[in-house]
Amino acid sequence: MNLRRLLAVLAVTVGTLALLPQAAVAHGVVGREDLPIPKWLFGWGATVVLVVSFVGLAVLWPKTRLEEPSERRFASIPKLLDPICGAIGVAIFVVIVYAGFAGSQDTRSNIMPIFDFTIFWVAIPVACLLFGDVFKAFNPWRAIARAAAWIATTVRRKPLPAPMPYPAALGRWPAVVGILAFTWFELVYTGRGDPSNHAVLASGYAAVQLVGMALYGIGPWTRHGDAFGVYFAVIARISPLRWSREGLYRRLPLSGLTTLDAVPGTVALLCTMIGTTSFDGFSNGPAWGEIQPRMADSLRNLGLSQLTAFHISFTIGLVTVVVVVSGLYRLGITGMRNASNTDLTTTELAARFAHTLAPIALAYVVAHYFSLLATDGQAMFYLVSDPLGTGANIFGTADTNIDYTWLSATVIWYVQVAALVLGHVAGLVLAHDRALVTFKDTRAATRSQYWMLAVMIAFTSLGLWLLSAANS
Amino acid sequence: MSSLPIAHAGHWLVNLLYLVPLVVVIAMLTVTSMRDRRAEAAEATGASASDSPASDEYAAP
Repeated sequence: MNLRRLLAVLAVTVGTLALLPQAAVAHGVVGREDLPIPKWLFGWGATVVLVVSFVGLAVLWPKTRLEEPSERRFASIPKLLDPICGAIGVAIFVVIVYAGFAGSQDTRSNIMPIFDFTIFWVAIPVACLLFGDVFKAFNPWRAIARAAAWIATTVRRKPLPAPMPYPAALGRWPAVVGILAFTWFELVYTGRGDPSNHAVLASGYAAVQLVGMALYGIGPWTRHGDAFGVYFAVIARISPLRWSREGLYRRLPLSGLTTLDAVPGTVALLCTMIGTTSFDGFSNGPAWGEIQPRMADSLRNLGLSQLTAFHISFTIGLVTVVVVVSGLYRLGITGMRNASNTDLTTTELAARFAHTLAPIALAYVVAHYFSLLATDGQAMFYLVSDPLGTGANIFGTADTNIDYTWLSATVIWYVQVAALVLGHVAGLVLAHDRALVTFKDTRAATRSQYWMLAVMIAFTSLGLWLLSAANS
Repeated sequence: MSSLPIAHAGHWLVNLLYLVPLVVVIAMLTVTSMRDRRAEAAEATGASASDSPASDEYAAP
């Protein structure tokens, strides 16, 4: 088998290169003294792991295991838990937004920005991976909408009029817009450190969600239009746990993703999640450091102010990276279609395999923001005692400090590599399993996945390159 | 001397090293796909030849 030969060639090459002395490259672009091999060689090693996984799947995974998910209920949930969690979610939301408006406007002293970028954006996805869709229970705008609906029904003593049907063509596009808007604020907008801007954004977002839920119903809007609800719910499908009002269920990890309905906007949402995180890494690297000033200069020559030129150049960068990531995925799907002689169109195939991008999106988040969570996340210890930054000490922890040394750069790098490799192997597993039920036989399924393997290797190499550039 | 003096070339050379596995894998996958297609085409030709009346005539004693 040719793939075995490929594997052998890669393994021997990586092994040989690992024994060679490191090249003396200017400005310390590669390698750290505490890493045994240069960083780019990790990319080669990750490729070997992906190829081994691919061959292993082709040989040892002849029948689908994830496409017919079975789950088992193992705990019941008290009915009161849902409203209690909702009330906690609303309380946290109110305190955080109030702190943003009324507290100190210093980024490090106010709970709002750090909660937003560290806990909300990074810790919740990790919690969803481990424990299922915990955000759904604490979702403040969903809780407010449900409470309002309950009160209205009780007062009227008759059911509320049925909401409008959610437009099928809209799919998850509102969520795509929401994620793009949030990441634009996080990565492009220069006022992102201002707590009151966070508070305005959070209030506006909640208002849009309440309008959406009033028009189309709480469930349909939460499943399709609420950017964060959709994002966290997709990540939670990786988890071995699923929550519902009836109870807590356990299932095979990843199997929840196979039932993801690939409505319009789903592929775009996942590519946006990967692309925006990629841009975060890219914008911290030397390549963007050279491109962006030139782009901003050109824009200033057109008569734009320095700030506008900065915002536009970063916006172009953000959108370009999302388009590149989408293009890579599309290229892989086109290759898959050509290799498999299927009757499905490229768009249909892209939708069928969209769920394979979810573990990659999570891997990118963990790889890029793990160090942020590990360090800035500690700020929550003092911020819960003094959320407004006014000198309060509610829980007696206001004097704690952030320990930036508890994780070494080496450990962070290994966690980043492990997250990327695991995420892409999970993507390969999902793609192989889906191919088994999409194409006529195991041989056709394996052949169709040659290009998915190439896509996974491309994303892994891209991820490692971005991380190494951002860390350099 | 145990290090190679690449110096400033490192800015772009190291970036290219991340691309190498992808290029190698794509090249190998392209070759594998072409071989698979050829093998399938040969199989299909063989099967249609054995199904045809002419081949039956030759096969008859």
